[in-house]
Amino acid sequence: MGKMGKALKSVVIVLSICVSVPLFADPQGRARQIDRIVAAELDRLDQAPRSEIDDFTFCRRLYLDAIGRIPTLDELDRFIADDQPEKRARLIEELLQSKGYNSHWYNYWADLLRVKYVGDKLHHPGNYSEWIKESVRSNKAYDQMAFELVNAGGELYKPGNGATGFYAREPMPLDHLANSVKTFLGMGIECAQCHDDPYEDWTQQDFYKLAAFSSKTYLKVDPLPEDEKTTYAEDRAMLKQKDFDEWIVYRESVRVKHASIYGNGTGFMRLPHDYQYEDGEPFDVMTADVLFGEMPPLNYKLTKADLDSLKNKNFGPEINSRQSLAGWMTSRDSPMFTKATVNRLWHQIMGTELVGPLGGLTEEEMGDHPALTKKLIAIMKAADYDVKIFLSTLFNSRAYQSRALPLGVEPPAYVLDGPIVRRLPAEVIADSFLSLKTDTPDKYVATEFKWDGFTHFYDKSQKMEVEDFVDYSIKGPGRQAFQNREEEEARKRNGESGPKDLWRVSSYRHHDGNHEVAVLMGQSTRDLIDSANREPDIPQILYMMNGDLEGDVIAQSTALIHRNMEGVEDQSERMEIIWKSILSRTPQASEERLFAHAQDDVIWALLNSNEFRFSK
Amino acid sequence: MINRRDFIYRAGLSGMSLPFLNAASIPAPTAKAKSVIYIFLAGGLSQYDSFNVEVDKTVLGKSTIIDSNADGVRVSNYFPTLANHMDKLLVLNSMQTNQGAHPAGIYKMLTSYNPRSSITHPELGSWVNKSLTREQDSLPNFVSIGRGRAGTAGFFPGQWAALPVQDPNLGIDFAERNRAVGEGKFNKRIDILDAMNKGFDQDYGTKDTRSYVDTYASSLKFMNSKDIDAFDLKKEDANIVSLYGKDEFSRSCLLAGRLVERGVRFAKVNLGGWDYHNDLYSKYPANANRLDKGLSSLLTHLSQKGLLESTLVVVSTEFGRKPEVNPNRGRDHHPDGFTCLMAGAGVKAGQIYGTTSSDGKHAEENKLDVIDFNATIAWRLGIDPAFEENTPNGRPFKLANRGEARKELFA
Repeated sequence: MGKMGKALKSVVIVLSICVSVPLFADPQGRARQIDRIVAAELDRLDQAPRSEIDDFTFCRRLYLDAIGRIPTLDELDRFIADDQPEKRARLIEELLQSKGYNSHWYNYWADLLRVKYVGDKLHHPGNYSEWIKESVRSNKAYDQMAFELVNAGGELYKPGNGATGFYAREPMPLDHLANSVKTFLGMGIECAQCHDDPYEDWTQQDFYKLAAFSSKTYLKVDPLPEDEKTTYAEDRAMLKQKDFDEWIVYRESVRVKHASIYGNGTGFMRLPHDYQYEDGEPFDVMTADVLFGEMPPLNYKLTKADLDSLKNKNFGPEINSRQSLAGWMTSRDSPMFTKATVNRLWHQIMGTELVGPLGGLTEEEMGDHPALTKKLIAIMKAADYDVKIFLSTLFNSRAYQSRALPLGVEPPAYVLDGPIVRRLPAEVIADSFLSLKTDTPDKYVATEFKWDGFTHFYDKSQKMEVEDFVDYSIKGPGRQAFQNREEEEARKRNGESGPKDLWRVSSYRHHDGNHEVAVLMGQSTRDLIDSANREPDIPQILYMMNGDLEGDVIAQSTALIHRNMEGVEDQSERMEIIWKSILSRTPQASEERLFAHAQDDVIWALLNSNEFRFSK
Repeated sequence: MINRRDFIYRAGLSGMSLPFLNAASIPAPTAKAKSVIYIFLAGGLSQYDSFNVEVDKTVLGKSTIIDSNADGVRVSNYFPTLANHMDKLLVLNSMQTNQGAHPAGIYKMLTSYNPRSSITHPELGSWVNKSLTREQDSLPNFVSIGRGRAGTAGFFPGQWAALPVQDPNLGIDFAERNRAVGEGKFNKRIDILDAMNKGFDQDYGTKDTRSYVDTYASSLKFMNSKDIDAFDLKKEDANIVSLYGKDEFSRSCLLAGRLVERGVRFAKVNLGGWDYHNDLYSKYPANANRLDKGLSSLLTHLSQKGLLESTLVVVSTEFGRKPEVNPNRGRDHHPDGFTCLMAGAGVKAGQIYGTTSSDGKHAEENKLDVIDFNATIAWRLGIDPAFEENTPNGRPFKLANRGEARKELFA
């Protein structure tokens, strides 16, 4: 077990317990540090600070950014009515500790980490997804999370070992390396995978030297050859002759038990067969080296000269160099890791890049406001990569609590002094409809590990010998029902999960199918990093105008927005409820002329309005 | 060292990042096809139980051979109707791909590239959409009909993806007002919406908010346009409708024909379910019958309307099936030597192009890789198959990868 590295052993399923001890010492103090730097920059540019937002705008913005949906009428009213000091700071604390946070930030990390069913390699994303959910629930430090992902190994469907999904979802190891660098270091080195990069310094050899850390890491879904020969092969051959479906069930069920990530790196890599540059020959041995920063010591068992003399396919013995790669990649001393992280989180909260493109940073650049970047990096390090502490700092800042700037409409210029006007993420739009349907929109967000057909069957398979697998293949549920029956059992094991139409988007798991509304709104397909889409298209708009919202919300008397108007006779009061429910504000005087319209028509219009789908 | 972003920026100023302005993309006057109807058979059609019967008898399994209306072209007994239309079809019996699993095979066939996790490539239909769409076009130029992979724009902006029509009988989702909402009521709603958006735009308007306002306008235009009739099969001439059966695939073909008549450039029709690893001969006939009838109706329809000269009809699949029938009476995947079809737009109809070895194991004469197949389609539409576009971060990709048009397929 030594080969799995220390960190993996800490991956166990833990119930996350909601405790309301104040999380963060002095978030406002940290926020002031940011504000001083922003203020100094505004001074230097002789630009007036943006106006501060009112409580209504703050409440809506924070709900959207912290927990991914608009506040319900009651949640809004409660905040507005609160007359005790520090109410904004208290709401920040409350929301960061809520179930809604777990839902919203799961969506964020699941997109970055591209949680997706990729079939062919029998990579089912359920366990991976649960690992991310648990990491968010337990507020695992981000550098630890990244380390565990890069260093993951062992069985794919073993509950708690879902970090393996990060490797298993890729078809090719070199692609995986390029994606890991882009995910955690914010750099695009994929060009160097096949040729020297014409725009950056990276050469193909640089890429292969980095790949040397994780060489011979691989996903194998079937049992290892020795195990196969002595345990499974005979019955496999028998079933193949007997019946195709039984053979398939045997193959798939054995895989669920055995599918694993093997290998931890040899520290050597060979140039590709078509290497074209003068500084090397195809199949030349490359020794592991980092792109920048300090080279971690590796415990080589073989010299490069020894390996040179061996055959093309030989990469040397394993020396656990992948763990060193994970350490280098997530090091607090890395010039890229923390910078890429704060760049990413600033972008998520403020809507703009702090330093540069999320996947296209360079080592030197520090953005348009280097002092701010440096400060945010320092705050992230001081917080030991606790994402909630970092977010709390941003949310408490005057910069965050400033009026949103419509970009491209000058003056004033955008100088990293607060959020910009931007469209809400797809899941946030879909989840905001829930705030109009029910007063408990987060009720069904999971608080513990959820089984799926694969983890459930893995669990059962621990007691299964080869004859049990044969039995299962012949007398079991059959090919068509194999996954369905296990999913059904897993569902029962999970207990009550509530009606699907009251789920947050994050509760949809692979077996539940797509959340069609989120897809229409541009939810990421998770094929690529950061591929969610916030652009309009005709199917999306047709849905908003003519789709299910009519029966779900607009004309649905049991929806929360209508229940909140029950017994309210005065038309203006009713309209105020509509405005507050959908736009989280009271109507302006200029809007009072719209009060004469039918209630459902106004609800329709507000739901279709830009103010609803954009964050301001 | 040139910074990547500087490079893209500078290239943009000189027009390099806007290659659709380049002459190469503008259809050459020699284009012989205006539109493509692309029937995709996901799962892997068995070539030896359909259109490649010129192999050893043992390879054919339970299939028998029947003659067609084209000299020297024979087909399997599962295609009795199409046998009377083979004079309109070119059979490509030497197709090759490098992918043997479904998702990767489908991806390769439709995009010309191997799947990678650092990039997604546009489907051929999306390239066609982006290359041939003109401002005056009132219908989308890439429509995907039927359940299955809809038609992704890959690294292109989403506007170049296929407009999906899941069920040909229902048309486009939500294109009609909700039944509970009359026209007057709907218009009132739009008025309130306009008022709300004007207010928001004053304080917070950006190009993104305006893009939404514009898309509402085009969606309304779309809802109200006569062209949306193109998606309504109830409006089709009864004589044409009667050429087709009532099953979903036939109706999808009818819709594709109707769309092409209205000028849509690329209509994709999905017919899946071909992955018969077991009991092929009990399960396959029903699906083969759908293809037999639906494609025959479509060819008749296009001929009657005089559209076959300007429409390239393509039938493709991600790979074929093995020459051996396995112990479960099915056939497993086989990427080396499978079969696709083409009709119309001047293709050498009534012929067979390419062969497999007589044992059915390999493509032999006139091997045709899927990238060359895709290049040929693009070329026939007047688009240069080597036409190149950059991804947002500056990686260049060609329409048909390294594929070259096989011009000899056309008279």
